[in-house]
Amino acid sequence: SHAAIKIQPMRQFFSSGHTNNWAVLVCTSRFWFNYRHVANTLSVYRSVKRLGIPDSHIVLMLADDMACNHRNPKPATVFSHKNMELNVYGDDVEVDYRGYEVTVENFLRVLTGRLPPSTPRSKRLLSDDRSNILIYLTGHGGNGFLKFQDSEEISNVELADAFEQMWQKRRYNELLFIIDTCQGASMYERFYSPNLMALASSQVGEDSLSHQPDLAIGVHLMDRYTFYLLEFLEDIHPSSKANMNDLFKVCPKSQCVSTPGHRTDLFLRDPGSALITDFFGSVRKVEITMETINLTEPIHFVNEERQKETYSYVDQLPVSEIIHQKPKQKDWHPPDGFILGLWTLILLVFFKTYGMKHLKHIF
Amino acid sequence: MAAPLTLLLLVAVTVRAALYRSSLADLISERVEVVSPLTAWKRVVEGLALLDLGVSPYSGDVFHETPLIIYLFHFLVDYAEITFMLADVITAVALYLSVKDYNKQVFRKQKYALEADRYPLDCLELIRSPKEMQYIPLKVAMFYLLNPFTILSCVAKSTCGLNNAVIALFVLSTIKGNVLLSAIFLSLATYQSIYPLTLCAAALLYLLQRQYIPVNLRRFSFWWFVAQYAFMYLGSLFVIVGLSFFLLGSWDFLPSVYGFILSVPDLTPNIGLFWYFFAEMFEHFRLFFLCVFQINVFFYTVPLSIKLKEHPVFLIFMQLAVISIFKSYPTVGDIAASFIKHHKASSASSLNIFLVSCVLLACSALFPVLWHLWIYAGSANSNFYYAITLLFNVAQILLVSDYFYAFLRREHHLSHGLYLKRKDGSEATLVLK
Repeated sequence: SHAAIKIQPMRQFFSSGHTNNWAVLVCTSRFWFNYRHVANTLSVYRSVKRLGIPDSHIVLMLADDMACNHRNPKPATVFSHKNMELNVYGDDVEVDYRGYEVTVENFLRVLTGRLPPSTPRSKRLLSDDRSNILIYLTGHGGNGFLKFQDSEEISNVELADAFEQMWQKRRYNELLFIIDTCQGASMYERFYSPNLMALASSQVGEDSLSHQPDLAIGVHLMDRYTFYLLEFLEDIHPSSKANMNDLFKVCPKSQCVSTPGHRTDLFLRDPGSALITDFFGSVRKVEITMETINLTEPIHFVNEERQKETYSYVDQLPVSEIIHQKPKQKDWHPPDGFILGLWTLILLVFFKTYGMKHLKHIF
Repeated sequence: MAAPLTLLLLVAVTVRAALYRSSLADLISERVEVVSPLTAWKRVVEGLALLDLGVSPYSGDVFHETPLIIYLFHFLVDYAEITFMLADVITAVALYLSVKDYNKQVFRKQKYALEADRYPLDCLELIRSPKEMQYIPLKVAMFYLLNPFTILSCVAKSTCGLNNAVIALFVLSTIKGNVLLSAIFLSLATYQSIYPLTLCAAALLYLLQRQYIPVNLRRFSFWWFVAQYAFMYLGSLFVIVGLSFFLLGSWDFLPSVYGFILSVPDLTPNIGLFWYFFAEMFEHFRLFFLCVFQINVFFYTVPLSIKLKEHPVFLIFMQLAVISIFKSYPTVGDIAASFIKHHKASSASSLNIFLVSCVLLACSALFPVLWHLWIYAGSANSNFYYAITLLFNVAQILLVSDYFYAFLRREHHLSHGLYLKRKDGSEATLVLK
């Protein structure tokens, strides 16, 4: 007998709304003593990769190279803890923007997609309206800004506008924004686009503190918030059902000294229904079924003539106004009083010198 | 004399016209030796353009000419080349006429002195005869017109040519004895740049001499004449300044023109002495040194007038030379004006004219070389350029003092005889201390 063909609706399959995952991980600080920021970014990178997002969908921006820094006593490694349990550098790190390429301009161009045509794919965020994007920023920041490379800043307004551009261009489905800097909560204050969720390591007025120094390496290895985030993420596996509410509990004040903050008012779903793997992983939904599935209605071509408004470029310029109404340039003329006075004086001098008898010839 | 003069004028105008048509005109008008921030043609055009746009031309640091220049060029900006050539022609003709007139007076004085037997018998060879002085006016005009400095200044359309024309007209009217015109032209010249003020003393001395009023500080007639002249001079100056106010309706030409000349804010290198000093001076000494430098220009008036009170025309030329060396923004046009004196004294008595002329020529050749090395090649620096500037000015000062010495020596010979003897009868030479 032939198998019964059952037609099932697809609603559950698309319950989370996204079909692909992207991650943009940015470390904005350079110099050896900012080792911890690179370690932060690399630990999130490691987690994200472990949970399934491929390198082709990760844009990793590191402002400096710590693993191969000449001051690193343990070359080719970046550790998260002095116990050296975890080398977050790994064997297959793919850095897309390195060194001086990590600038505010490049970051915003990556987000908005406005890159020159010659930019390679590995440096582009090729997200669409079904993409869930994780954006992680770390470095030195302040109230309303984040410092890039010790020479420029990105402000919270710019960031909010970039996200709005992404929303208008349908470049994301949902976006999770995590920032680990001093006064990080100020960076998500200005968001106004829908479907954004934000986490920060400290409130306005608070500093995010680093975890522990390693006396052998000589610098602080990681920041507290990301350290505990990493610890939390190490327990997540691709089929984990942990949700965002658990993420909000990472690093309470007792551990972090600063107060982590989060913002979910722009997020359209309930945070409890958003899984960690919705952002940190690239979970492919696979359901094995023997049944025929009706994907969509057949597409009917609509053949109506829609009045398309032809709005040519030229019409937008007030050309006629420019051509016909150019203001006539008024030439300056000396005042009449001046001319009169000057020539009277000259005539007077002339007659004084050459005698008044010449007046007779004129009059 | 009219025909050779006309020929000379034609030649001069042709040379200038030829240079205007060539590509050198743009090159020359950029040279800092030829144009200064006061006299550059580019700035005149800029000022007129600003005026057409409805902005005062004195706003900003572009335009430093007097309002009468604005009025003149408002109508003549398209005929600028003809204007400058005409200015040169006027200068040359004025100099020609004035030298001719002055020669007549010199001969008259000589005749009286000869008749009164005032010359010692052995210096008769020093007395000028009409024959040898016949071509002097033409030579003076030629010297001015065909002087490469003048030609450069004219081709660059530097308003220094107009300044020189006014000064030449002043000289002409002074020598002709016309008090009113002399005062008026002097006030025009002062109105353009402040420095011709020093020529006031020379003009006064000449006019007093001409009217046979002795220079005696206790006489009433002396003071009366001085008062008259000063009244005419100051009166015409005020009238011209007042007229300039009415041209633009504001007084901002005063700080822009006179404040600029006196306080020297622009330190573009030129062939003068000011820029280098003031570029490296500390701020709190600036005012002091500014006063020192500016007084230096006016300072030589009194001693020179006292020494040369018998020879005021020579004094005029000395003063012109001093002005052109020590003014705040000299250009080669001013140098050209100061070279007119070359035909006044006999060159036999001057010591090292040849050496000094060679130095001047060499410096003039080195100016563009060192400028190029400093600005474009980068292998020299401002010290090199300033060294040549210094040398140029030193050569000019030496030239001035040489002519002064030659003149004085001639006068001394005329009064004391050609072969000088000390009291004990041995031969002596004259030394300028």
